[in-house]
Amino acid sequence: MSSWLDYTINGLIVGNVYALVAVGLALIFGVSRLINFAQGSIYLVGAYIGWVAVVQLHTPLPLTIILVAVTSAIVGLVIERFGLRPLQNSVRIAPLLATIGISFVLDQLVMLTFSPNPRALPSQLPDVRFQIGGGTIGPLDLLIAGVGLTSALLLFVFLRYSKLGWAVRATAQDRDAAMQMGVDVNRVNQAVFGIAAALGGVSGLLVGMYYNQIDTAMSLQATLKGVVAEVVGGAGNVPGAVIGSLLLGLVESYGVAVFGTSYRNLFAFLLLVLVLVLRPNGLFASARQAPPEPLTGTFIAPSRPVRIPRWALLAAAAAFAILPLLPVSFYVLQTLINAWLLGMLALSLTLVAGTIGQVSLGHAALLAIGAYTSALLSLTFAVPVGLAVIGAGLMSAALGTLLISPSFRLRGHYVSIATLAIGEIVSLVILNWESVTRGPIGISGIPPLSLFGHELISPTSIYWFSFGVMVVLALLQGRLLGSHLGRSFRAIRDDDIAARAYGLSLNRYKALAFIFGGFAAGVSGGIAAHLYSYINHETFNTQQSILALTVVILGGLGNVVGAIVGSVALVGLPEVFRIAAEYRILIYGIVLLLLVRFRPQGLLGTM
Amino acid sequence: MSNIDRRTLVRGSLAAMMAGAAISRGAVADTSEPILLGVSGPLTGPNAQYGTQWKQGFDLALDEILAAGGINGRKLAYHFEDSQSDPRQSVAIAQKFVSDPRIVMELGDFSSPASMAASPIYQRAGLVQFGFTNSHPDFTKGGDFMWSTSVSQADEQPLLASYAVKRLGLKKLAVLHLNTDWGRTSRDYFINAAKEYGAEIAVTEGYIAEERDFRSTLVRVRDSNPDGLVLISYYSDGALIARQARQVGLKQVICAASSVYSPKFLELGGDAVEDVHVGTRYFPEDPRPEVQKFIAGFKKKYAGLEPDAFNAYAYDAMNMAAAVVKIGGTDRRAIRDAFAKVKDVSSVIFGTATFDVESRRVKGAMNAELVVRKGQFALWDGKPT
Repeated sequence: MSSWLDYTINGLIVGNVYALVAVGLALIFGVSRLINFAQGSIYLVGAYIGWVAVVQLHTPLPLTIILVAVTSAIVGLVIERFGLRPLQNSVRIAPLLATIGISFVLDQLVMLTFSPNPRALPSQLPDVRFQIGGGTIGPLDLLIAGVGLTSALLLFVFLRYSKLGWAVRATAQDRDAAMQMGVDVNRVNQAVFGIAAALGGVSGLLVGMYYNQIDTAMSLQATLKGVVAEVVGGAGNVPGAVIGSLLLGLVESYGVAVFGTSYRNLFAFLLLVLVLVLRPNGLFASARQAPPEPLTGTFIAPSRPVRIPRWALLAAAAAFAILPLLPVSFYVLQTLINAWLLGMLALSLTLVAGTIGQVSLGHAALLAIGAYTSALLSLTFAVPVGLAVIGAGLMSAALGTLLISPSFRLRGHYVSIATLAIGEIVSLVILNWESVTRGPIGISGIPPLSLFGHELISPTSIYWFSFGVMVVLALLQGRLLGSHLGRSFRAIRDDDIAARAYGLSLNRYKALAFIFGGFAAGVSGGIAAHLYSYINHETFNTQQSILALTVVILGGLGNVVGAIVGSVALVGLPEVFRIAAEYRILIYGIVLLLLVRFRPQGLLGTM
Repeated sequence: MSNIDRRTLVRGSLAAMMAGAAISRGAVADTSEPILLGVSGPLTGPNAQYGTQWKQGFDLALDEILAAGGINGRKLAYHFEDSQSDPRQSVAIAQKFVSDPRIVMELGDFSSPASMAASPIYQRAGLVQFGFTNSHPDFTKGGDFMWSTSVSQADEQPLLASYAVKRLGLKKLAVLHLNTDWGRTSRDYFINAAKEYGAEIAVTEGYIAEERDFRSTLVRVRDSNPDGLVLISYYSDGALIARQARQVGLKQVICAASSVYSPKFLELGGDAVEDVHVGTRYFPEDPRPEVQKFIAGFKKKYAGLEPDAFNAYAYDAMNMAAAVVKIGGTDRRAIRDAFAKVKDVSSVIFGTATFDVESRRVKGAMNAELVVRKGQFALWDGKPT
């Protein structure tokens, strides 16, 4: 039985660590209704500033903490002033994309300054261990718990009893009304970003010391776990974020206890989906609380799409179709093949995110389902590859819709978080379901693409095949958008209550959108599997989902041509910047930020 | 052909690239130009640290090769393309390399998904893909242009098992492994060998690469009552596990795979990695001349930095590439055939490396049994810890 005590203590200890990030995320979400994907990067910056202070300047711990807090707060203020404030009157989704771009830029800056090698960040506290249960805890555990709880408490008091705190809460409830009452909304936002960034930086420092290890890959993981903990506790609820983090730590620890280590994150994300389905406002939201997302669809603001004349589209399609006949290198063709495959994924996502308003952050899961289906059908059951790819589309449509259906009742950001979790769950199931997916070993020797017995091996034929499939899917989707069904989708996006009042069954239409979108994504995954000949659970990862969303927002939500233009741009840009070697992802992040800044409705506008 | 002037050469290579490498490759060779190898690997993204380590190993080897007169008088050089270990980018890089007539051979990629997704392209185009860190058992099955000096886990793991079971006398083992294709393959070979030597496997736990918290995993390990822990880990996660094992009060012997062999393991693990046993392919006091040359050269070039396992793999790979190009010249097919011909290439990892033509891998990795003593790797003296 004593083991259970140990599992409990370990769960609380790691929950403690998650809480530091979750509190900062909750604060920003509370005020700006924004999932700050850059929070993990500030955490990274804090850790490295801490390393400079501890290892090079030899500052004592209190001074280290102050230094890290102040520098991180300045980073936060800069992000708010130059990255987010210019976007406050644009589409609601633009700041989300901006935080993704900012996190690219910050992570790359840290990597370029400090090299990607992990570093030791020695703890400056005496190495005393206290025996608890079978294990021990040290002073750093207590400090982390102290910082987490104190900051949550201080924030609670600040929000409830100080004048600026009231302003923060008023802004959170209704920005326009707060402005009318004379609240300086910008100052409030600044205060919030400053505090959250200081917290984020200090948490990076403490967690780095805790593990005696910092590296540039720690940022995305911190954001992921922080978001889960925050939403479990109730988005925007600061004490809830602490309790949510502890609960997350416990669930993971008990998950390890019962099923083993490789199931750990599976439980974290299952907990998240469960909480979202049963209590979408989080476990600790009061019943009186206003709905966390606006009732009508201001999440995706309509804009006037750029009209592209039909002849121009035809000319572009023709130009791309005859491209392989011109003297272009296979490298260019291969890059465009990647763009067409991403384009199919983006078509799928722009339909569910743009047209019906379900912003999915787990879309790579549909690729993975398609890829594994097609690979296994052709390898195990010797199904011809052409049919297997269609099977991949059907399987992604069916399974994807089924998996995502619990999130149909959610709105706005919650859909994104639920789909993010579902995406992670799919990837972890692939990793653990060894009898079918061969686990981490992956599937090798997948046959190349073939049609009617002819193998498509040359880049030219693969190019034509993927381009053709994408064009057909795009034409179908264009037809769909112009039909009655397309109008119903947009009605649900723009005002779901009005749509319901007109007798539209929301769930049924959302399911239809995911069936169509799932098919396109599944076909893309299927083709990719045959192209690569080897896939495993890492082939289709979270970064793919984020990339797809970036493409869709960049091209213009719901915009079919935009999705394709965005794919070509985002596959092409990093390749164009190859000349810049290590700097290319940094440049890519900056270009992304500039695009969001000057074209927040996307290149071609929301359809 | 040495009288082709530079402008003609550039124009020729551009035209060849545009036409998709249809032009014969021999025509553009020029003895004043370096012989170029293509490297596809991570310089940004989550595995960026390994790409940087590769570069260190490559650069040292290239310095030595140049000092020794280059390849029949020509300089050897590499062109590094960042793939972020992403299969989407590694396939594009593969097309770029195969259609660039200057590239005579490719090295990398780092991860199996990225390497093996590019294999069909290299195989069909007839450019050698030399995956020197690709231990996936199916990597060299991609075709006769896939060669690897990655130590086969079928070779390495029995050595580690023998260290743990026969030499250290451990009878009941807990195995913690990275849940990747490498970790999983290694685990299976390790378990088979350990069982054969008479040990019992108490528990196996696979963890994902991003994992940092192992306390609950270690409670499971404790409850299974092992007398030793085996880590099939890289140095950063290996150090984390060792630290947390000591924190949760596990005092058992820890034995780790050679991939933790890095000064970073000592730096990140601190006191907790004291007395950790590591089976490696070489060690600093190794009297073998190739090892001494490598370590001394590395420290000199990188301001006293100790090389680690990934540096050594890259260093060996570049030396192997030089040996192959010496025999095969600059023709891509001749280079493929040269892999089967090179004999006894001096190697830090293998002593001397010769390819097994059947598996296209090298057998017979060296073995050194090390232990961490006073914060340094030292040859194990046979005394129990």
